[in-house]
Parts: sequence; structure tokens; C-alpha cells
Amino acid sequence: MDERAFERLAGEYAGRLYSVAYRMLGNRADAEDAVQRALLKCFVARAAYSPRWAVSTWLYRALTNVCIDELRRRRVRDESDLDVETVSEQLPRARVARQPTIERLDVTRALATVPREARVLLALHYVDGLGYGELAKIRGISVNTVKSQLRRGKAILKKALEAGGHDGSD
Amino acid sequence: MDRTDETLRELFAVQAPPTLAGRLRAALRAPAPGLEALADRFHFDASERGITRLAYGRGRDSAAGRGRRHVEQAREELIEYLGGRRTFFTVPVDLGGVAEFQDRVLAEARRIPFGGVESYAALARRIGHPRAARAVGNALGANPVPVLVPCHRVIRGDGTWGHYAFGAALKTRLLELERTTPLLVGCESTRIVCRRGCAHEQRIGEHGRVVFASVADAASVGYRPCKVCRPRDHAA
Repeated sequence: MDERAFERLAGEYAGRLYSVAYRMLGNRADAEDAVQRALLKCFVARAAYSPRWAVSTWLYRALTNVCIDELRRRRVRDESDLDVETVSEQLPRARVARQPTIERLDVTRALATVPREARVLLALHYVDGLGYGELAKIRGISVNTVKSQLRRGKAILKKALEAGGHDGSD
Repeated sequence: MDRTDETLRELFAVQAPPTLAGRLRAALRAPAPGLEALADRFHFDASERGITRLAYGRGRDSAAGRGRRHVEQAREELIEYLGGRRTFFTVPVDLGGVAEFQDRVLAEARRIPFGGVESYAALARRIGHPRAARAVGNALGANPVPVLVPCHRVIRGDGTWGHYAFGAALKTRLLELERTTPLLVGCESTRIVCRRGCAHEQRIGEHGRVVFASVADAASVGYRPCKVCRPRDHAA
């Protein structure tokens, strides 16, 4: 895959990748940073791209790898007593617009109660309508595990929404 | 499809900023230079027991006998670390020449996980001297083996950097490197999760890599921890 072909691909998938990253990370700055890092990794490794993989699977695998490591780092950071905003400001990242007011705060909060692996699968499944088979390939797990994780994630979410007074029933 | 499905579909309908694609194209055309090119500027001294000093800038390695093997190993691991392919060092360090207080500070600094940061005050508390943050800073400033003992992960309580032997710019780049290097990598075919830099992890093909946020997360989808690098004992 040459540079121009990859650039076209990046332009084509940028929006969808961004939506998934935004739902995993919860803010625009981190989402854009994650998309940029994932695409750069794929760009550097484009010679190793195998056509037996769907392009979307390849890109989503790279993106989820970046996002999940970012979530790990946040967990460590949240446990420290440092001024995390200042730390973040000193590290370079993609330049982005200010974050607007978060809508549907209750759903976002409820989603935060879902375990990480299930949350990632929910984001991939609902943003781009990815099927169980592709989700399994993206996360390197079995189709049955995908199904059970999605079921579990949805059940936890529903419970959290009901507890918060949001009507998530059938 | 129930209401939860609809709610999720609505929630996940995020619009990307219109300028995103253009910014991404610009980033692809001018990728930031890697740190690996700096590897030649690091120099090691070593004893029979391990690395005794790591210097940055002009100079040359100094070691004899078994020490030469330690230097070779340290250089190899440092190149991997700077290239984002390693998150921990296995080369032994010889801190025989340092005072007891500094030894305790350095030992505690080594426990800060890859990608993490800790304040001078927190480190002082952990060694049982809560009012000795400044002394902790001095002990870290005189760290004979920076990077191998990660004193760059210690910063001021207000989130700003503080002194670093190799300069603030390099400290920023090392912290940025650790921010963008994944710590836990699973192998899709063996369903084993390793720390990045483990010999088994380095054999995983580009398409078989799956990153996890914790060993527990990996276990929840059927991956087990590697028995060689033991990520459960070391990951944050």
C-alpha cells in the first residue's frame, strides 16, 4: 500500500475511528490524539498489511490497542496525587477544539460502570455496526466471548440506567 | 432491538470535527522523529556485578570482563526501550557506591511502573521520611543510572517537571515515549499476555498483537499471564 493510498484510507475512516475513540475515551482531545497515533502506527507498518485482513479490522485493531493503553494509563494516573492537568499540558498532543458540554450525561456515566473490555466492544458494535466475527478479530477473542461480553455489558448498562431513573427497558 | 440498543446507537453517533482528516494527513506527512536515534549518545560504565553509571553526551563505554556483557545487554535493551519495544530493563545495575538513603530512594523509584509518574513528596512518604522531599530530589538528581532507574518518572507535586540530569527536554520525550508505548500485549494465537519487551512478546507478529489495560481485563476474555515476564507482579 503506497503513501497516497494510505492517506485516502485515513481520510475515509477518520470519522468512524474518531467516533469509536471518543466513546472509549470520553473527550475530543484524547480521541483525536488516539486516532492520530493509531493511523501513524498503521502508516509505519503499512508494508506488513496483509490483504487477508479487512482494512477496517486492521485500523480498528490499531485504534483499540491505543485507546485501551490510554485507559490503563488513566487508571494509574487517577491513583496518584499529582496535578494531572499540568502533567498533560506539558506533554505534546494533537491540537483540538474545546470540548463542548457533554450531552446525555446519565448514559455516559452509566457506560463508565461497564467493564473496560465490554465497553470497547459496545463502542465498536454500536458506532459502526460491526458484526460479532469482526469484533472477535479486532480484539483477538472468540465469537462466543464477544457475545457474552456484549450481553454482560448491556445488562450492566441497563441496570445502571434504571438505577439512575433513565428508562432503558424494552 | 430494545431501548438500550437505541440509546447506545444514539449516544455513539458522534460527529468528527470537519478539519480532522486534514490534520491527520498533515501528521502522516511529517511524523515526529523517534528517540531511537539518540541511543548512540548514551554511554555505560559497568562492574562485574552490573551497570554502575549511565551518561548522556560525549564519552565512551568503560567496562572489563563480565562488565562488557552487561554493557552490551544494557545498550540492546536501551535501544529497544527508546524504540518503544521495551517497557522494563533486565540488565543488572550495581549501586554499590551509593549511600544508604539514596539507595532506598532509588529502590523506591524503580517501583514506579512504566508510564506512571510520582511526586517527590509521595516518594518521600513511601520511604518513611515524609518531610524529606527535597532530599529525595537531591538523591534522584545524583542517580548514577538514569533511565535504568527511572528517576524521570518523578515530578513535582504541581505536575511540573523539576530537575533532570539529562535535561528537561529529554525528560519530556521519555515521558511522552512511555505515554505512547503499550505495557501489556497479548498474543492472539497463544492467548498469553506479556509485558512489552518480554522475549515471548517480541515474537508476536504485527497482526497478532492485542493490547490490554490490565491482567484482569485480559483474563476476562480468556488470556493468561506469561510465566516468564509475570505481568501480574509488575504491571500497575
